[in-house]
Amino acid sequence: MQAKVSRRRLVQAGAALAASTLSSPPILTYAQGETPIKIGMHDPLTGTYAAEGESEVRGANMALAEINAKGGMLGRKVQLVVEDDAANAGLASQKATKMIDQDKVSMLMGSVSSATALAVNQVAHGRGVVYMVTGGHTDPVTGSQCHWTTFRICTTTYMLAAGLAGTLYKKFGGKWYFITPDYAFGHTLQESYAKLLKDLGGTVLGNSLSPLGTTDFSSYLIKAEQSKPDVLINLTDGQDLVNCMKQAAQFGLMKKFPIGGGLSELEVLRALPKEARQGWWTLEWWWDQPNTPHVKEWVAAYQKIHTDGTWPSARTWFGYAGLHSLGLGVAKAKSLEPVKVARALEGLELPDEIKLQPNKVYFRPGDHQLMSSEFPGEDLPDGTYPNLFKVADIVAGDKIALSVKDTGCHLDYKA
Amino acid sequence: MQLLLFNAFNGLIQGVFYALMALGLALILSLNSVINMAHGGFLVIGAYLAYTLSPYLGFWGALIVGPLLAGVIGLAVERGLIRPIYKRSDPLYSLLLTFGLALIIEDLTRTIWGAQGLPLEVPDVINSPVSETYFFITGYRLFVIGITAAAAIGLYLLLRYTLLGIRIRAGTSDLETTAALGVNIYKLRALNFGFGCLFAGLAGVLAAGVLGLTPPMGNSLIMPSFVAIIIGGVGSLFGAVLGGLLIGLAAGIVTTYYPAASEAVIYLMMLIVLAVRPRGLLGEEGLFE
Repeated sequence: MQAKVSRRRLVQAGAALAASTLSSPPILTYAQGETPIKIGMHDPLTGTYAAEGESEVRGANMALAEINAKGGMLGRKVQLVVEDDAANAGLASQKATKMIDQDKVSMLMGSVSSATALAVNQVAHGRGVVYMVTGGHTDPVTGSQCHWTTFRICTTTYMLAAGLAGTLYKKFGGKWYFITPDYAFGHTLQESYAKLLKDLGGTVLGNSLSPLGTTDFSSYLIKAEQSKPDVLINLTDGQDLVNCMKQAAQFGLMKKFPIGGGLSELEVLRALPKEARQGWWTLEWWWDQPNTPHVKEWVAAYQKIHTDGTWPSARTWFGYAGLHSLGLGVAKAKSLEPVKVARALEGLELPDEIKLQPNKVYFRPGDHQLMSSEFPGEDLPDGTYPNLFKVADIVAGDKIALSVKDTGCHLDYKA
Repeated sequence: MQLLLFNAFNGLIQGVFYALMALGLALILSLNSVINMAHGGFLVIGAYLAYTLSPYLGFWGALIVGPLLAGVIGLAVERGLIRPIYKRSDPLYSLLLTFGLALIIEDLTRTIWGAQGLPLEVPDVINSPVSETYFFITGYRLFVIGITAAAAIGLYLLLRYTLLGIRIRAGTSDLETTAALGVNIYKLRALNFGFGCLFAGLAGVLAAGVLGLTPPMGNSLIMPSFVAIIIGGVGSLFGAVLGGLLIGLAAGIVTTYYPAASEAVIYLMMLIVLAVRPRGLLGEEGLFE
């Protein structure tokens, strides 16, 4: 007699599917040497931010190869331990703890999702391990929840908003509707935008919160359309941003009002069909900087390793600059002692061949935030990959960042 | 009021899509007794194959060939992996097998096509709204509704009036007797599994037109269709369609008043159905319990 499938089994199966993202083995990148220095990296290799996560890991591996080619850190080879956090905060803190306890990593780095950056921020501080946040933008990481152990490469959500708000207001007007991803990154970015907009004299018509990983944005777009905004501010990122823009284009909304946003990325631009590739956004690094030294060479070096036709993105640079910063900190401290490395990183200025952008780029001592530039500009609907974005300006980070006092950060080395 | 109307309408359109996926899932569940956790995987296979083929065949050609290939791969998977474990009485085996398969397909997709999202270009003819006021009714969405209706009606006619369909239904209600009457149930089940995968592939291509392609796209799209089957009633194909439409409509209405709950509401509905009428709205008592 054949066994039939019970309803109960079906419900259990669904639950198992939902839980399935919680386990996957680590990927080890080995380097030679007797007792290598291990650095643990957590990044989303699956889910809505998988493309961004992969870019960060690629960048870190480029830095790894360069560091090891020059003899490693303190004469020891460096080894990168990469764990998938699936952009899930609980999973990220689990994996960070595992990398500290089992893999015995000396330092941590990584993150695309702000939620994972905040989670690992707590773990790293609790264990006294230096943590280099590569790509989680939410303000509190170097603000109200800052710790002496944590440093950050990517800019803050406030800086993202401040780099673009004025331009959007001047070009399109002051009635804005927001679509905001419903977690730390979206919340702080939207608050920053709302505050900047109020100071400029505009009004917030409404704000739709979309859960991370939303595929269908039609209901949010309907609400936005009904509010008749001067501009729709789309703060989603990753695959969510791709889905939202595609659906907005299919609804013909770009003909009704302009769309702008917080953050865009080369990974996103590549996935967008041309009718959805529109509006004003901020990037944090761009491959085409003809007047900046070392950029062309770096792009060529990337493409020598990765022959899949891709170009390095801001995320690639985050991973690259992140690992190199740790290397520079260790070299300056001449030690792996976390307090000494942290002290060495404070005020550290990135050299030209690592910063790959104009303006002075340094870790601000008061909050450990890297003062890197914003690249606001416009999508190019008629461009072909990788010419998908026109950079309008390169804004120095320390010109738009909140003062250390206003970030709410108090570094306490004793705790 | 207009907002409610828009959202309800919009939810129904979304529900049509859930229904299409739930149909394939329900088909495999009934005759093959397999909870096909890899259904999302076949959805991804259909979508990516269509993407690869579209430069050569155009969107329309790829829309036909992509799902067909997914169906053929489904046939191969059934022959090689599913058939040997039919005789195991515990459905847990096939569940675990297809679950593993889902993970393998996702990683293979990532290896072959990359983790970065890819766009599937939709012909301009159907890629714009049909009216200025009802801007959310795009040509493409009407097209999806049309395809789903055609697929559902086609499946109904097949099951109702053809010899193959009658055998599938006979096999679903009593496999042993059907086999004893001389029907080759292995062939029947293989075909049925292939059909289910074809439906998954079709849903994949249609989804890719709105969402683009990513390796994990199957997982996020497949969860609501599980819910649709449970609400509609395990064992009933019409129930699967009804379940899909209902959860779409509910999500649409809730989103007007309390958007944050629009995802939770479908699981709440499932909870209520399981508590009040465990067999689902149209499920037959005893058939699957």
